[in-house]
Amino acid sequence: MLSRYSIGSGALAAALSMAVPGALAFDETKYPDWKGQWIRIGPGAYDPARPGGKGQQPPLTAEYQAIWEANRAEEAAGGQHYNPPARCLPAGMPRMMVAYEPMEIIVTPDITYVHVGLSNEFRRIYTDGRDWPERYEPAFAGYSIGRWVDEDGDGRYDVLLVETRGMKGPRVFEASGIPFHENNQTVVKERISLDKANSNVLIDEITTIDNALTRPWTVTRKYRRERNTNWVEFVCAEDNTYVFVGKETYFVSADGYLMPTKKDQPPPDLRYFNQSRK
Amino acid sequence: MFDRSIASVVLAAALIAAIGGAQAHDDSKYPNWKGQWIRVGGGQGAPWDPGKPWGRGQEAPLTGEYQAIFEANLADQAAGGQGTDPTYRCIPSGMPRIMIAVQPMEIVVTPETTYVMLELFTTLRRIFTDGRAWPAEIEPSFAGYSIGTWEDTDGDGRYDTLVVETRGLKGPRTYDSSGLPFHKDGQTVIKERISLDRANPAVLQNEVTTIDNALTRPWTVKRSYRRVPREPPVWSEYICSEDNRHVLIGNENYVVSGDGLLMPVRKGQPPPDLRHFQSQK
Repeated sequence: MLSRYSIGSGALAAALSMAVPGALAFDETKYPDWKGQWIRIGPGAYDPARPGGKGQQPPLTAEYQAIWEANRAEEAAGGQHYNPPARCLPAGMPRMMVAYEPMEIIVTPDITYVHVGLSNEFRRIYTDGRDWPERYEPAFAGYSIGRWVDEDGDGRYDVLLVETRGMKGPRVFEASGIPFHENNQTVVKERISLDKANSNVLIDEITTIDNALTRPWTVTRKYRRERNTNWVEFVCAEDNTYVFVGKETYFVSADGYLMPTKKDQPPPDLRYFNQSRK
Repeated sequence: MFDRSIASVVLAAALIAAIGGAQAHDDSKYPNWKGQWIRVGGGQGAPWDPGKPWGRGQEAPLTGEYQAIFEANLADQAAGGQGTDPTYRCIPSGMPRIMIAVQPMEIVVTPETTYVMLELFTTLRRIFTDGRAWPAEIEPSFAGYSIGTWEDTDGDGRYDTLVVETRGLKGPRTYDSSGLPFHKDGQTVIKERISLDRANPAVLQNEVTTIDNALTRPWTVKRSYRRVPREPPVWSEYICSEDNRHVLIGNENYVVSGDGLLMPVRKGQPPPDLRHFQSQK
């Protein structure tokens, strides 16, 4: 009897285990409608509420304030070495959430996917209740764990709380070169929700904790929804005319010649070429 | 009577609002393609047809003109060049090559769109299954514009096969690293039939047929992918530009050495022309 019961239970369990993955129950009514194409509102400066560059007033430590000033000086002289996207590296977190190109958010119960058109930047936000893994491979987008909250108690989630760790460098906050600490111990916390007054506006309150900062830095970014989507592929390497050789930034001209980006910039060292063949 | 009409309108509006909020999604209608997929087989060099050797062994049905282009590309590769394969400079593989899935792949099925997320070049394909017609104009892209229809081929009430057509592709693209070329007119059309292996739901099959003016006939290959049993899957970030040492100046490809200096990639290659530098004038 025991064996019959056990075998019967085993068979039932096996049948159920085949049926359950097939069912893939997804009660979509529990999740907010974030479908469509999200286009950033406001400028591309990291804090859209403040002027770009010096006007950002990031709470940097003195050491990193000096690094930022050196980056701005390089930018003013025509260089881009401090700015990783200039060499087609991803902006990474949190800069990718500036959404220079339109963004799509795909909500599923276990994972919320965020795709930003610029350089195909892509995030997975795990909402399956997992703990932080003991080890994760550092990534520009980091490793994100999220939690859904039904803040207004209407039986439907409305806020996604996200924490992101495990970022790698080089990264900067924005094009003026506001730096992160070189130890890459950045932690980013986000609160993502629709604007209660306008469901076609998405709000991301982003707080960055980083050893280059004297305190957590919070900015609020907003995106407007376009329901009639038109996705354009952006491939950085396709049209990038910057060339990086050692620590120098050069340009390739429209007619295919190497050009300086700064006044009196020396040309690249050609010692590895057999000059006698010229 | 008038008041009843208003009441009906209010009720209808309330119902529409409720339905809009509900976003009914009968997930049980769709196959379970969740998880991480990794290509099965393929051999050395990840050839396009995994059943045949890389290069000439693929026996691609190329026209005479494009066979000659392919041969010239093989000769360039043999001399240390990159031939016609653009991926060395971080141009994405594009369709259909990306479906080799050299790096892992994830597929997210929603009623309106099936998303194919490929680690290589962080490529995202959107396969629209919302019943849309082909747009009048398509902005060309490496991933192309894909429209799919779901089929319930075994009549069990659940979709099992995604039939996809992809158009609107741009170049340069090749089928694989051997440099097998597409026609330069960008008129490639790709048809796919994607379904689980009936004998093994841990294997996904993709029958890919390419129609291209560089071919004498449509070219069909069958690719398959196995589902990684590890839960949860581990995803990596693949950033081509991070470790890429190739530098393209004009039509010449160079590399940057470990000590940060420009180097030739082939014997006797001339250095770049430095006419725009003050010190050279």
